[in-house]
Amino acid sequence: MARGYDDIVVVVPTTEPYVRRSEHGAAWFIARVLGAMLRRSGLAKDAIDGLCLSSLTLAPDTAVAFTQHAGLSPRFLEWLPMGGASGVVALRRAARAVQAGDAEIVACIAGDTANATSFTDLIENFSSFSRDAVYPYGAGGPNASFALITDAYMRGFGATRADFGRLCVAQRANARRNPLALLREPLTLEAYLAARPIAEPLHLFDCVMPCAGAEGFLVMRRARAEALGLRGVRLLGAIERHNAYADDPVQMRGGWAIDREALWAQAGVAPDAINLVQVYDDYPVIAFMQLEDLGFCGKGGAAAFVRDRDLTVAGDFPVNTGGGQLSAGQAGAAGGYLGLVEAVRQLAGEAAGRAVPDARHALVSGFGMINYDRGLCTAACVLAAP
Amino acid sequence: MRAAAAAGRFALQRCGACGRAQYPPRAFCTACLSDNVEWEVLAFAPGTLLARCRLHHSNALRFRPALPLDLGLVRLDAGPVAVCFLAGVPAIGAGVTVRARLDVAGHPVLDAAA
Repeated sequence: MARGYDDIVVVVPTTEPYVRRSEHGAAWFIARVLGAMLRRSGLAKDAIDGLCLSSLTLAPDTAVAFTQHAGLSPRFLEWLPMGGASGVVALRRAARAVQAGDAEIVACIAGDTANATSFTDLIENFSSFSRDAVYPYGAGGPNASFALITDAYMRGFGATRADFGRLCVAQRANARRNPLALLREPLTLEAYLAARPIAEPLHLFDCVMPCAGAEGFLVMRRARAEALGLRGVRLLGAIERHNAYADDPVQMRGGWAIDREALWAQAGVAPDAINLVQVYDDYPVIAFMQLEDLGFCGKGGAAAFVRDRDLTVAGDFPVNTGGGQLSAGQAGAAGGYLGLVEAVRQLAGEAAGRAVPDARHALVSGFGMINYDRGLCTAACVLAAP
Repeated sequence: MRAAAAAGRFALQRCGACGRAQYPPRAFCTACLSDNVEWEVLAFAPGTLLARCRLHHSNALRFRPALPLDLGLVRLDAGPVAVCFLAGVPAIGAGVTVRARLDVAGHPVLDAAA
């Protein structure tokens, strides 16, 4: 079993509020989060000696360029182009760097801008495979890829649109308690089912709204956090896997299924100890797969699982307690941080108005990068309250 | 692949070392990493329809007049999986025939028909 994470903690979960469109570049959003984290922690910029950065719209720059933009001089630097897996992977990298002494305080940030052409530019050249073998088929972007996966999943396991709708409606109820969520109007199952088709079987409320924004947190040892007067959320276990099950003809499972036993063993808790779950939800079908592949229910059982539970913050199985990307918006790579930042807020007692009662343990899962016909990056972690 | 598609033929990559067929094309074999990958030029490729979707929104203006577009995920009998335009309404699990052509932008694309 991989070594545990000792006294590594996560502090100052921070969001630069999302906006539908922005004139600012990605670096501006990233710097806003960095500045806010420094103010909240009381740390000087020079104290940040590690940086993990993710962005889909920072090009032609990377994390390297950002150090000069922001006047940072880190001795540990990660550029993590892993989309929806970025947050968990950043935490995993940062925790190991601090454990090993390669850095003392690592800032983990993802941020992206959005304007009239940023999204279409992104999908046109997302990867060489998608440019050659997906984009020419109607330029549907991730909607088309996930429509095919959703179609196969519905046929394979008997899931219905209403099953996906229950998740979307619950997440909207959670978003209504989150002032940072962009979509807070009430959503009923009837309205979900009546929405216009985008890429059938996907309809409007199955798809995230691209937007601009950023998310971040700091990783350090607990003693350092306490000296700063910060309540640190502990990292109990973390996994990642890339290009799992390459021979499956359609993606019906992800790398979590390979690594979940390692995750729960490292964390020292079982799924029934989890008080809230943050799954990556660019589309509901992948949220269902995470519930299955991480061991909350059997394969193909997510529809029945969701039917029997209340997924709101007041319910018996709170999922995506801030509304998830489906209601908060998808700020590019920050979508891969959204659930992690929300989980840290919940466990640190900072989720005012939507706190899950007595939350001790959270599971956060990430999923990223539809390189051709499936998402390649999977990651997950288990966090514990201070 | 482009030259073959211009002639209405589907050029499928196959490894000269281990025989593995692959799609989308790449510079080396995904199985054994040999760079001895060859083109197998076919009149058509048989396959099975795994999943379908109907696209009502496109991010590129050039596709919008053609909406809605039916797309399918086809497992070629040769092994790999290909995203294709769907012609007609082949049933899921049914055999389809995949042919290549150049689209108006000069890009090779695949059509799957019952």
